[in-house]
Amino acid sequence: MATFNFKKREIECKIVYYGPGRCGKTTNLEYIFKTYKKQVTGEMVSIDTEGDRTLFFDFLPMGLGKIKGCDVKVQLYTVPGQVQYSSTRKLVLKEVDGLVFVADSLEVRREKNMLSLKDLHENLKSYGTSIFKVPLVMQYNKRDLEEEGIPLMPIKKMDHDLNRQLKAPYYSASAIKGQGVPQTITECLKRTLLNLQKQLKWAK
Amino acid sequence: MDPKDQIIALLKEADLYQQQGLLNEAKERYKKATDIIKENKSIKNGQGLIANIVKKVVDLNQKINQINEAAFKPTVSGQKQDLIQKLFAGGGEKDNQASLLEGAIALAKFGQFDRALSEFERLLDHETVRVAAAKNIARCYLEVEAFEDAARCFERWVNDERFTEGQLDKVRFFLQGRFRKAGFERELYQREETVSEDDIQTLEMESATNEAADNARSASPIEKQSVDLEDMELPEEEEFLDINSVGIMIQSGPQKGRLVEFDVSFQTGNSINLIISNKENELLEALGKGTQLNDMQFFSPIAILNGSGVVTSKTQIKSGPKEGDYSLDITILTT
Repeated sequence: MATFNFKKREIECKIVYYGPGRCGKTTNLEYIFKTYKKQVTGEMVSIDTEGDRTLFFDFLPMGLGKIKGCDVKVQLYTVPGQVQYSSTRKLVLKEVDGLVFVADSLEVRREKNMLSLKDLHENLKSYGTSIFKVPLVMQYNKRDLEEEGIPLMPIKKMDHDLNRQLKAPYYSASAIKGQGVPQTITECLKRTLLNLQKQLKWAK
Repeated sequence: MDPKDQIIALLKEADLYQQQGLLNEAKERYKKATDIIKENKSIKNGQGLIANIVKKVVDLNQKINQINEAAFKPTVSGQKQDLIQKLFAGGGEKDNQASLLEGAIALAKFGQFDRALSEFERLLDHETVRVAAAKNIARCYLEVEAFEDAARCFERWVNDERFTEGQLDKVRFFLQGRFRKAGFERELYQREETVSEDDIQTLEMESATNEAADNARSASPIEKQSVDLEDMELPEEEEFLDINSVGIMIQSGPQKGRLVEFDVSFQTGNSINLIISNKENELLEALGKGTQLNDMQFFSPIAILNGSGVVTSKTQIKSGPKEGDYSLDITILTT
């Protein structure tokens, strides 16, 4: 849950990038870090391991400036995607305010996308939160690989697989090229702040 | 597709998956390419190609082993430990003992045991979090099965004036319970001035309750003094599993052994309906009314389940855009 300092008129919220291993969560954050110098308020910290796999989490602090008279600070996190880091994912997800689910468009990763979404659903449930209630944006990543002739799932199929019930806004993306990354984070922030406004009434 | 083109496509895919860090998927593609080469003796320099692929698979295996053998939760730099402590200390005031305790617990959960231990040690100075800090020190040792170290720690606290009798007993009952569960036989010393019978009874009850709560909590072995959502058992939400598509392993006929995927056109409870084109003669023959489907996959947005089902009806559609196609009702038996 976001913290709201009424005296300082300051709100701090947490956005988590979730998804299967190697789907491009860290690449999203790296692009944001490189591109939004003005908004980034500190270094991007990555705790990774052998083979550049995220071990614990990536962290990127941002400041969006004043919105409706309130100073808005955002903490972006990624979770480790590898199956064995389940407890770490759960820990990072604690008190999340908004979510980006990054799905891998490669056909061979179809099942992994579904399993990761299921894992997200279960971890949220363990915190007493429903996946339907947290602001969520879907990102169908690695669309650039289509040019290489690699079998990708059509967007329609991915949306059918992952988003039929959730009906979250979705964006096709190529995080490595930055395509779709700004739209995804913008939409997620918009939804998160609107949701927090409803709960905390900070923008009176 | 021409086998040569197929091999080229597979090798290209494998190389790309490798670049993406999808090592198992890369391996799978190399294996498929090798199988095609072996099946097609006419491919020029087939043996040479296979030798090259084998080299690549050996490299891949090495990388996979390196990843598998890497420490699960290695010790990270002090700077990163500071960040973990700060980010996961909860929303309280920075110097608030409960926040400090939460930060130390996060360090332990991320496997940074040495640092967590020194934080917990510091927290022993504070009355309000002393028992929780002591239990967490013990838990850090128990996590790495250092039972003797946990016992020695407790014995040190027996002579530590900061601990009251009641606090010591709480920690002792907790630790003794954990030792019993792990099959580690060790009687923990008490101070000479032992507690009254009544106190023991109260503590035994408290310990039993705590143990029951601990058993219910599996993902979070490190304990916090205050109760929060993470430590609570939350009621299961009732949910209706919406199945988007199914995979059916064909069990008879010319397509026996093939996994065929169908979109679910509608679903009511455990009954799903599929439409099969009238051109799929072989499939239609294999999926007659009453056919037991022992190997099925059910794809829903939140889960993939394996299970079985039975074809309860097969009717030809008489009108509309799907006229002539077949409508199949399947009752899901197990998932």
